[in-house]
Amino acid sequence: MARSSSKDAQDLFRALWSAYAATPTNLKIIDLYVLFAVFTALIQVVYMALVGSFPFNSFLSGVLSCVGTAVLAVCLRIQVNKENKEFKDLAPERAFADFVLCNLVLHLVIMNFLG
Amino acid sequence: MSKLILLFLALIPLLCSSFSPETPSDRRVLVLLDDFALKSSHSLFFNSLKSRGFDLHFHLADDPKIALQRYGQYLFDALILFSPTIERFGGSVDAAAILDFVDSGHDLVVAADSNASDLIREIATECGVDFDEDPAALVVDHSGYAVSATEGDHTLIASDDFIKSDVILGSKKIEATLFYDFSHYMRQAPVLFQGIGHSLNPTNSLVLKVLSASPSAFSANPKSKVTTPPSLTGSSISLVSVIQARNNARILISGSLSMFSNRFFRSGVQKAGSPIKHEKSGNEQFLNELSKWVFHERGHLKAVNVQHHKVGEANEPAIYRINDNLEYSVEVYEWSGSAWEPYVADDVQVQFYMMSPYVLKTLSTDGKGRYFTSFKVPDVYGVFQFKVEYEKLGYTSLSLAKQIPVRPFRHNEYERFIPAAYPYYGAAFSMMAGFFVFTAVHLYSK
Repeated sequence: MARSSSKDAQDLFRALWSAYAATPTNLKIIDLYVLFAVFTALIQVVYMALVGSFPFNSFLSGVLSCVGTAVLAVCLRIQVNKENKEFKDLAPERAFADFVLCNLVLHLVIMNFLG
Repeated sequence: MSKLILLFLALIPLLCSSFSPETPSDRRVLVLLDDFALKSSHSLFFNSLKSRGFDLHFHLADDPKIALQRYGQYLFDALILFSPTIERFGGSVDAAAILDFVDSGHDLVVAADSNASDLIREIATECGVDFDEDPAALVVDHSGYAVSATEGDHTLIASDDFIKSDVILGSKKIEATLFYDFSHYMRQAPVLFQGIGHSLNPTNSLVLKVLSASPSAFSANPKSKVTTPPSLTGSSISLVSVIQARNNARILISGSLSMFSNRFFRSGVQKAGSPIKHEKSGNEQFLNELSKWVFHERGHLKAVNVQHHKVGEANEPAIYRINDNLEYSVEVYEWSGSAWEPYVADDVQVQFYMMSPYVLKTLSTDGKGRYFTSFKVPDVYGVFQFKVEYEKLGYTSLSLAKQIPVRPFRHNEYERFIPAAYPYYGAAFSMMAGFFVFTAVHLYSK
């Protein structure tokens, strides 16, 4: 039973991976970027658990810059995805411009809160 | 004529040397007597006061001309009431006037006796001392009496239950050198007492028992049989008490006028049951030392020259910052009767106080009167006080308070970069760098 379930899981992941391979390259790049942000956030949380929460504002701004980046990247991914019919009226250039503007605001706030 | 004026000018400083913060000893003392015969029968006590520089003014207690103050100024620094039987003082003096006299910081000595009047009892009660209500009662002690030629009724008591305080009774012990059984004994000579006992009002925390009766004493009429239990018994009976009021006025209350007399000063004493016969009773030394205390020749402290500054600086700042290190110093002197001498003790404490003491430190002393310490301002900002509240048995109380505000760090007094936060800085900047890289890749990947 156990062997069959692990085999099932392997089949599942293989199916998932082959389905994901069909994703356009620009979306894969965004996914990589999101992964990078989430991974950086996790490192900081582990570091805070080890060292303590002393410069708490620095910790918050570090983690929130990662989370904010990830959220904005996910928003961009939703808007530039061709298969998403909800935003088919929105030009990908417009979505990218929004993304850049939001990132500028985010990093401005983060820099203020970091020190 | 010019010589006279010169003499008068020379005398002015002497005439003006009354009670002042600079010379706290009393100078002018009013003595109210029942009878001028007391002047000679108690002359040893009065002469001791005169030889210490006191200016004694003797009056009969019912003299209509006596007055404690004139034009709102007190004429005397201290009052001795050797008039136990007086029912009404002459002139403008009454119990309220005497209590006002004490309330304004002047000293008082009251000696009662058997048949003490209601007036004297009222004054004593106001001071926290209750004499035995029974007018015929005397303190009787069938085991601690003084042996005399006639058997007597054991009302002449030899007591040596003194308060343990060098400042009140003087550092020289009341003692007599004796040669007994080929060995050299130093033993305190008991004090002779014949009079009425009193109890201390338990609600009055300022009154102290200086000489108490022995556990076998009781207060009753010695001429009649004791049928009911006496109201005052044992060592709760106080024979001599002192009070130091909150304004540092000092009061001495004794249940015996005869203990001040020449006869008791000069009399030998042998306590019943004790083989030692003292040549001389302890009365003279006991009462002289006690009068030195009452008239502020001893145990009067002053604190001057309060200084505080940051460590490494000399000037007193107007404000401190939290976590500053500061140094505090104060000078404390004791009046010796003629000069201010350094006060040496190891229990003077300073508080850094805001609603409650945040810092309480014992001050170290250099033995020359200067007390100092250093401490760190707590991590709390607000308006603080440096407080020295020094209350020690027998000494006048010191109460100093100096206000000082404490501010938090200014925004530019914090650390600019904290080493522990470098990973967070790195994460934030790597997110910015990542944003640039991603933008480039995203734009040119098509």
